[in-house]
Amino acid sequence: MSDAKQNPLPEPSRGKPEVSRREFLNEITLGALGIAGLGGTALTYQYFSPNVLFEPPMTFRAGNPDLYPVNSVTFLQDQLVYIVRTSGGFYAVSAVCTHLGCITQWKPDADMIACPCHGSKFHPDGVKIEGPAPRPLPHFAISLTADGELLVNKLETIKADKALNV
Amino acid sequence: MATPFNALLENLRTTRVWKSIFRRGAANTNRTRSLAIFGNLFLHWLPVKVREKSLRVRAAYYLGSLSLLLFIILVVTGVLLMFYYHPAVPNAYHDMKDLRFVVSNGVFLRNMHRLGAHLMVLLVFWHMFHVFYRGGYKPPHEFNWVIGVLLLLITLFLSYTGYLLPWDQLAFWAVTVGTNIISAMPIIGRKVRFVALGGNIVGENALLRFYVLHVVILPLLAFLLIGMHFWRVQKDGGLTVRSRGEDGTNKD
Amino acid sequence: MAQTKIESGFNSDAKKEPRRIVFITRNTSAKVKDERGPKLMTYPALMVREAIVFEVLVVVMVLIALFWDAPLEQLANPLLTPNPAKAPWYFLGLQELLHFFPPFVAGILIPTLVVIALVVIPYFKINVEGISLCDENAGQRVGIVLGVVVGLLIVLAAFDAWTIIVPTFVVAALLVDYDLVHCHGDLSDSRRNFFPRAGMVLGLALGDPCQLKIWASCRTKYG
Repeated sequence: MSDAKQNPLPEPSRGKPEVSRREFLNEITLGALGIAGLGGTALTYQYFSPNVLFEPPMTFRAGNPDLYPVNSVTFLQDQLVYIVRTSGGFYAVSAVCTHLGCITQWKPDADMIACPCHGSKFHPDGVKIEGPAPRPLPHFAISLTADGELLVNKLETIKADKALNV
Repeated sequence: MATPFNALLENLRTTRVWKSIFRRGAANTNRTRSLAIFGNLFLHWLPVKVREKSLRVRAAYYLGSLSLLLFIILVVTGVLLMFYYHPAVPNAYHDMKDLRFVVSNGVFLRNMHRLGAHLMVLLVFWHMFHVFYRGGYKPPHEFNWVIGVLLLLITLFLSYTGYLLPWDQLAFWAVTVGTNIISAMPIIGRKVRFVALGGNIVGENALLRFYVLHVVILPLLAFLLIGMHFWRVQKDGGLTVRSRGEDGTNKD
Repeated sequence: MAQTKIESGFNSDAKKEPRRIVFITRNTSAKVKDERGPKLMTYPALMVREAIVFEVLVVVMVLIALFWDAPLEQLANPLLTPNPAKAPWYFLGLQELLHFFPPFVAGILIPTLVVIALVVIPYFKINVEGISLCDENAGQRVGIVLGVVVGLLIVLAAFDAWTIIVPTFVVAALLVDYDLVHCHGDLSDSRRNFFPRAGMVLGLALGDPCQLKIWASCRTKYG
């Protein structure tokens, strides 16, 4: 009795609504299920993204730079890439038309890259001359390996004005 | 008609084995006719009685029924085709040639399947337009319309995934164009394309994924949604038909 | 029997003489729903009809399948693109859109908007009473429709989408004609619905062959 006067029970803090045990447990359960669901979705997405691909690799060596004469356009058929060498350096230009994905062709007499599907035409550096293609042909990242070979990475596109100086 | 054959049939029907399988008896009374629907696993979603007016062809041209029947035909022909098809590159294409020249009745099955696919797309579009013109989407049928739109999308995806399976030039490039469109989605486009194709190019992974989608996942989804769709129609009272008053105007 | 005045309520005879209680407000009469007709047993009435429909479908399909073969082209060659690379017929319209608009707009945005529009149809009470365009707020409604159409025409012109502009323009012209002739004129009921319908039909008739490249004048330089 004197206990009650000396150690009064703490009053509930004002302003905060009381949460019943039932509501609390419900919220905890829903939260746990939500986290499990998110985790499950993430794991499923991981499952569906293959780690090993049986395709031509997206990063490939294009050989020694001396193979490519100055002011030439070489079509690499396996990789669908043009190795363009100008006096300014090397570009790796995609051979896939930006309109609907058809494979373009290099026309040396007309000095242009042409798409057979709907008639898009591009300069060797990928800039569009005419046609329904919405964007110029993208440039892929090109660099030199340690032993002096060209390395093209199709997963990385770079700005069209960057050339690789050898 | 007391032919020997009929007599034999009647005797058969009185045997214990027969009666243990077909339990309701001959459907010649309204009670047994009710049981033919109500006691049947595959038919009990139908009402036991239907309005005479909803049976007319002009009511809805049987478009919904035709869509379902076409789905069944496609599933049957599709499963039969699966016995001779390897979803691998380039076996898929050679299997298509086998089906045409080597397999007995293969060309017929493939023709039926492809024809059924085109007809299916046509019919579901027609069905959608007809439901729209007749106002069958109005409350309380709104969600059934949404289920119908989902079914339309599933039909189009089924048709598109099936389009790749012959692995000929037409199929390959149609899918190349389509998946390039997917990569046009902002932010997630390239990732979605990667997961859809199982890689960066339209290759063997893409064929296998489209095959699984076409043969398992989408038909299962379609089956579930068709069930919900039909169930809702019957629960809401079946094909309600407008009645015409004496002055020729439509009443609701 | 009381003719004009019916009281509502219960009396002690309610169980012995059940009466239909009709509530009458002012001078309106109770709306009685039309009888929807007799019912038949599903089996056999519906079942037999479904069986017939199924058989007709199978017969038609078998006849066609026996005479027309499904096409099969050469083996897929990732290095050689056929000209033209065509989508299946139900996607041809979409492929045409891709010729005029960037891939995001034509391939993602417009189909998504179309699907959303379809899904949303039953949730909007758009003209439930079926009032003709001219009856209420004629000027405002025709103005809204025409404003939307003109906006659409401007967007299409900005993207050089001439094959889509032509049918849109024809429909808009017929709408203006309808407005001038009917909303402000005096036409009988049967001709009320003629112009919008004719506009739709004409628009579709002009638009679809154009998009399927049947008309020579629609062929662009690019095939």
